[in-house]
Amino acid sequence: MANPVPSACCVVLAAVVVVYAQRHSQQDTRVQYERIGADVTMKCGAMDWDAAVTWTVNGSDIDESHLNGSYLVLRNVHLGHSGQYSCYEGSSWHLKYQTSLKVGTPPKEPVLMCRSNNYPKRFYCSWHLPSPTYIPNTFNISVIHGTREMVCEKEAVPKNRCHIRYLQLFSTVKYKVTLTVTNALGRNSTTITFDEFAIVKPDPPENVVAKPVPYSPRRLEVRWNNPSSWPDPESFPLKFFLRYRPLILDQWQHVELSDGTSHTITDAYAGKEYIIQVAAKDNDIGTWSDWSVAVHATPWTEEPKYLTTEAQAPETTTSSTSSFVPPPTTKICDQEKVVGSGAVAVSWAAGLVLAAAGVLFI
Amino acid sequence: MDFRAGDSWGIFAFLCAALWNLPAVPALNNTDEAGAGQSIQKTYDLTRYLEHQLRTLAGTYLNYLGPPFNEPDFNPPRMTRAEMVPSATVDFELWRSLNDNARLAANYRAYTHLLCYLRGMDGQVAKADLRKSLGHFCSSLQGLVVSIAGVMSSLGYPLPGSLGSTDPAWAHGPGPISPHNDFLKKMDDFWLLKELQTWLWRSAKDFNRLKKKVPPAAVTLRLEAQGF
Repeated sequence: MANPVPSACCVVLAAVVVVYAQRHSQQDTRVQYERIGADVTMKCGAMDWDAAVTWTVNGSDIDESHLNGSYLVLRNVHLGHSGQYSCYEGSSWHLKYQTSLKVGTPPKEPVLMCRSNNYPKRFYCSWHLPSPTYIPNTFNISVIHGTREMVCEKEAVPKNRCHIRYLQLFSTVKYKVTLTVTNALGRNSTTITFDEFAIVKPDPPENVVAKPVPYSPRRLEVRWNNPSSWPDPESFPLKFFLRYRPLILDQWQHVELSDGTSHTITDAYAGKEYIIQVAAKDNDIGTWSDWSVAVHATPWTEEPKYLTTEAQAPETTTSSTSSFVPPPTTKICDQEKVVGSGAVAVSWAAGLVLAAAGVLFI
Repeated sequence: MDFRAGDSWGIFAFLCAALWNLPAVPALNNTDEAGAGQSIQKTYDLTRYLEHQLRTLAGTYLNYLGPPFNEPDFNPPRMTRAEMVPSATVDFELWRSLNDNARLAANYRAYTHLLCYLRGMDGQVAKADLRKSLGHFCSSLQGLVVSIAGVMSSLGYPLPGSLGSTDPAWAHGPGPISPHNDFLKKMDDFWLLKELQTWLWRSAKDFNRLKKKVPPAAVTLRLEAQGF
C-alpha cells in the first residue's frame, strides 16, 4: 500500500501551491484608485514603519525622499503617478506589497439625450461624460413612463446608447430618463423628462441628386429618398425643407415641401454652380433633421462644355442664340410666353378664318 | 291613356324604384368618394389649426390656474378621477390595425366628450377674456366634430350612438364636481387640456392614414354598411 502516501503528498503540495498562488495573485491584481490632487500614503504590507524597504514604480526605483519610514508618500498626485507600485524588503529583495495605482476623478454630471429617428417604433438615449475620469466608469440608465419602469436595451455599438420600444402611442404622460455614472471615486447622475412627441427627429434624407434640366438654363431638378431609418412613411409622412444657393453667394433660398420627394428649382442663375441640401421632419410632430449631404449641380447651358469651379465667364453668352439673354430677375417662363403668344396668334387667325367661312356658308 | 305595352311601364316603375333607393346606397357614385377625400383633408387641416389654437389657449389657461400647473416640468401621476376624460393613448399594433370605421368613430366619440367637458370648464372661468377664448375654441372644436361626422356619413358609416350602455363611464358626461376641492378641479382641467392636445396630435396621424386609404377617384360600394 505504498500508493496513498505519495498521492496524499501530491494533494497537500497542490493545496499549498494554490494558496500561495492565490495570495500572490491577490497582490498582483490589487488596484487602488485615487483622486487627482490627493495625498497618497502606501504601506508596505505588514512591514513595520521602521523596516528597511525599497519601493519601485513600473520597475524603477523610487527616491528615498518620498519615503516616510517604510511608507511611500505621494503628494498632490496627478495622472503621471499612475502605475504599478511594488515594495521589496531591504536586503532579501522579497516582494512584500504590490498595487496598481490609478489616478482619476469622480464623474462630473453626464450629458444625456434621447431621440426617435424611427417613430413610432423606438427611441434611443445616448450619453457621454463632459470630461474624462481616466478610470473605469459604469453607467446605469432607468426609464420611467408614468408608473411603469421600462427596459432600455443596451446596444453593442456604440457603447453609450440604449433603445426602448414604444409600447403605446399618443401618450399624455412624459418619459423620465435617469442616467447614473459610478466609478471608484464617486457617482453622479442626470435626469431628463420629455413628451413622446418632443424627441422625434428623423435622419436626413438620402440619395439627394440634383440634375440640370435639358434646354432649361434656369432649372435644376432635385430628387431624394426618405431616410431609410423611417419605418412607416405612409402613415407618418415626412415633409421636407430644401435650401439652395449658388456657390458664389452666401444667402440661402428655402422651399418647404409638404409631400413628394422631388422639386424643380426654377429660378437658378444661368451657368452658376449650385449647392443644395434637404432636411426632413415628421409632418406634425418633432423637429427637423440635420441637413443632408450637400450636392452640387449647374443648370443646363447652351454649350456642352462642363462648367467647373474656375472663374465664371461674364453673364452674357457669346453664342448666336444670345438674342434671348434673361437677366437674373426674369424667369424662363418669359421665353415660353413669347413662343406661346405666337402660337396663340396663329390659333386666333385660324379661328377667324373658320368663322368667316362659316358666315359665308350661311 | 294608351298603354303601348305593360312591360315598358313595368320597366319604368322599376327604374323609379331603383333611383328612389339610390341615395340609401351611399358612396355609390364617384363624386361622393371625391367628397370624402376632400372632407378628410379638411378635417386634417382643422386638427392642425385647432392644435395651434390650443397651444395659445392652454398656455393662458394654465397661467390662470397658477403654479404648479403652469410649470413646464409638471408631470403629475394620473388619478382615477382624471381618467374620466377619454384617452388618446393606444397600443401601437392596435392603433395600426384599426379599420376606417373604428378609427373615425374613436375620434368622433373623443371630441364629442372633450367638447362637453370643455364647455363645463368654460362656465366656471372667472376671467372674461379667457372665457371668450375658450368659447371660440369650443366653436372650432364643434366644427371638427361636425367635420368628422361628415366624413363618416360620406363613407357610409353610422355615427356612434351618443351615450350607449356599452360606453365606458366617462361617456355619461362629467361626474359631479366637488365644490370643496379646488386643487382636484384644477388637476382635472390640466389633464383635460393635455388629453385634448394629445388627441389633436393623434387625429393628425389618424387622418393621414385615412387620406391614403380613401383615394379620391375610386368608386366603391359600401353595401356592408347597409347590411346587404
